[in-house]
Amino acid sequence: MKRLAAVVALLGLATATAACSGGTTDKSGGSGGGGGLFTTIDVNRPGLDASAPANPWHPKGNSFLGYNAMKLGWVKNHVTDPNQFYPAIAEKWEIAEDNSSITMHLQPNAKWSDGKPVTAEDVKLSIGIAYTQGSTAFAITPGAAGAAADVEVVDDRTIKVTQDMSNPSSKFARGVLDSIIVPAHVWNSVLPADFWEKLKTSRGTGDGAEKAREEILAVGQKVLAFKPPNDVSAGPFTLERVNPGEALLLKNKNFFNAANVAPDQVKFLNYSGNEQIWNYLTAGKLDQSGFVAAPTDVMNRIKQAPGSHLIKGFSPVAVGMAFNQSKKPYDNVHVRRGLAHLIDRQQVTKVASPEGGTAAVTTSGMHQKPAQEWIGSELSSLEPYAHDVAKAETEFKEAGLQKKNGKWTLADGSPWKVTMHAPSGFSDWISAQENIKSQLIENGVDAEVVTVADYPIYLEEIAAGKYDVGFWLMALGPAPYDIYQRLYGASNGWTNVAGKVKHSPAGKAGNWMGSSEEIDVEGVGKINPGELTEKLNAASAEEARPIMSQLAKAANQDLPAIQLWDYVNTQFTNTSRFTGWPEQDSDLLRLPAGVWIQLGLVKKKQ
Amino acid sequence: MSVLLESTATSAAMRRNFWSGVWRVMKRKPSRLVGVVLMAGFVFMGLFGPLFYGDPLPRDPSMLTRPPSWQHWLGTDDQGRDVIALVVTGSRYVLLAALVTAVITVVLGTAIGLFSGFKRGRWDTVLMRLTDMKLTIPGLPLLLVLSTVWKFNSAVQMGLVLGLLSWGGVARAVRAQTLSLRERGFIEAARGLGLSTTHIVGKELLPSMAPYIAMNMLIAITGGVYSQVGLFFLGVLPYESNNWGQMLNTAVFRSGALTVPSALGFLLGPLLAILLLTLAIVLVVDAMDEIFNPRLREE
Repeated sequence: MKRLAAVVALLGLATATAACSGGTTDKSGGSGGGGGLFTTIDVNRPGLDASAPANPWHPKGNSFLGYNAMKLGWVKNHVTDPNQFYPAIAEKWEIAEDNSSITMHLQPNAKWSDGKPVTAEDVKLSIGIAYTQGSTAFAITPGAAGAAADVEVVDDRTIKVTQDMSNPSSKFARGVLDSIIVPAHVWNSVLPADFWEKLKTSRGTGDGAEKAREEILAVGQKVLAFKPPNDVSAGPFTLERVNPGEALLLKNKNFFNAANVAPDQVKFLNYSGNEQIWNYLTAGKLDQSGFVAAPTDVMNRIKQAPGSHLIKGFSPVAVGMAFNQSKKPYDNVHVRRGLAHLIDRQQVTKVASPEGGTAAVTTSGMHQKPAQEWIGSELSSLEPYAHDVAKAETEFKEAGLQKKNGKWTLADGSPWKVTMHAPSGFSDWISAQENIKSQLIENGVDAEVVTVADYPIYLEEIAAGKYDVGFWLMALGPAPYDIYQRLYGASNGWTNVAGKVKHSPAGKAGNWMGSSEEIDVEGVGKINPGELTEKLNAASAEEARPIMSQLAKAANQDLPAIQLWDYVNTQFTNTSRFTGWPEQDSDLLRLPAGVWIQLGLVKKKQ
Repeated sequence: MSVLLESTATSAAMRRNFWSGVWRVMKRKPSRLVGVVLMAGFVFMGLFGPLFYGDPLPRDPSMLTRPPSWQHWLGTDDQGRDVIALVVTGSRYVLLAALVTAVITVVLGTAIGLFSGFKRGRWDTVLMRLTDMKLTIPGLPLLLVLSTVWKFNSAVQMGLVLGLLSWGGVARAVRAQTLSLRERGFIEAARGLGLSTTHIVGKELLPSMAPYIAMNMLIAITGGVYSQVGLFFLGVLPYESNNWGQMLNTAVFRSGALTVPSALGFLLGPLLAILLLTLAIVLVVDAMDEIFNPRLREE
């Protein structure tokens, strides 16, 4: 252990030294006052893998979205409209009024970094690859909502994708434009010659179709392992080299908007934990970083760094404390309501996510910002579940719980302990649960926090119904269906099989939440929330509005989860070397900084 | 044998002489007294410390991760709890796990070493190859792997695993001592008198090695503390709300103790506790060494 501590300390020192030398390079990289070198990190990927290929589908691939990885369009994640995009490989597009097809016109000057033009054939091959990865619009699961039925190359620069209207989705266009595009002349070997035939067969029924689907998925493994000999990019940068400390990308002179791309080089620094990013930021080394959870004092220190500039915006996600209603006493709505009253969400947010979240005003199933857009004034008519110990006691009594010697027990007098689960490493969740635990114990409800090794195991175990209570990401917008499928989707028993909604009983087919199939909502009547959620898939914004209102009321009344806080998208930027950063609350904040650069926003400081 | 020759009076006199010898050794270097006091303090802390605080610990949400002050001598943690209170209440898990580790290390190591050294022959070969194998398995990586499949739910489980991974060194050393002692005259005499193996091992060999074993046990406690605190610090074990290693992990990775000074007290609390515990053990072992080895006495 001593030896390990010494090694860890030495490694830390070495990293710090590397980081310092990186900083020196940053300064020399600039010409005059401005910067030629753009230094950043990929917050979604701790630990660079120097041996990983420039493959956008490889889990550790050295392919950075917006920089050397391009999509057809950049999804804006608009609060209410999922079909708004910034142009990328596609310069413009037409979406059919009934959402049945999308026709995309590629950038007339789009070229790969090796000088070859980007064509509709490149897009078709990339769509073929997307099928092997089970992407939303290009799913091979029979009857999947919003899946493409046909891909047609209209001409060299135009391509049309048609939706299978037997189970349509309003997100179809989004699913298509959100596709990564790779060069056919590099990648064409990954798809077998008869791929499109196989795809046709896979859409049928019977053993032949099943076999074809298996073969397509097997190609997916080949795609993941594919190693392009060198990085051929249609983005503003190409990968030059990667070492364990950093990845260096050089400006792609063939990029269609190269004239407006300010940095000559981009450097992604390696990191293994948040504290390393805090150190980069406090030293002013990074020109940009996505959101990193930080305690208030660290955040203040980051703000004091020279040139530090924080930009905040909407992040379409919230976190809730979800219940397994198959387990007692969480099957009783009064227990869930009592807990909602007992937990002070303001305090939880202050402790767990002071800079990255705002306490949820209530449980509506939606992030507060889209909730206002979707249901407006109705939001204020929902029960706010304000922190109120007396109300909590009333609810617990109504649920039949008993209070003995200051401790709440189940109706039969047996002990009750709220066991909350969280994945290890999710420090804000653990911190929140620790705070909730203290709040509950102080009010006579025994509680404990249990962690599991990692997020995939957590998801597996929660789906298997192993937990009573767990934290759950919800309100995953912006598409209305996406928002409510977190509460009334597969995890609560509702699945869409070939366009038909089916409800599985609690404990079966991944239904771990176990809500009732029908809920009697005050002022609305009896509703089937899963069926309503499914309707959102094909509904227009106007059609969706009343459904969203009904689901918000259902979620608020029935509390399958207590919404704790809504996340805030805080981006860290630095004005010492570059300017032109997005405005506060800009929709660009929900896209990688490479997109800001390629759109020509970011400028060298003069 | 010795029991047969001793009268009650002589054994009482020997005990008196022993304790006066202990006192003389302690007085010669007062730092050893400090060690004993510190160790007694840790034992008291582990046994009764949690009784001094409520459950859950008092907290102040307006005082999250504050630096040391008159009110909170080592500051507060990220939940607004006093760091000293956390160190005191967290000691029970750490010390209990370390004690279990030490007991298992010493009992297993001594048993295997004694048996192996005394029996020699095939048993010695088999047991020592087993020990060699055990010594070649790197403990920490094995623990990291084990922690992914085994949920260490209690201090006893934690200590059990650590103990099972650390008996090899003691077994080797005890075997070496046994091999040396078994050739001495008093063991030859015991054999000549036809005394049983149990008697020779239990009444002749073991008492001669007891001081060495006791010292090993104390040192194993520090090893147990370092291992489990290290594992919690690395975040590979399930969350334990009150544990020194967890405190270090939270201080560094969540509260930014290496980035901002406000969390420094939070970091120092468990570090000081580990430092003082190690110091106490080193000083007591130093005293024991002199008590049980008269040749080291300077007078």
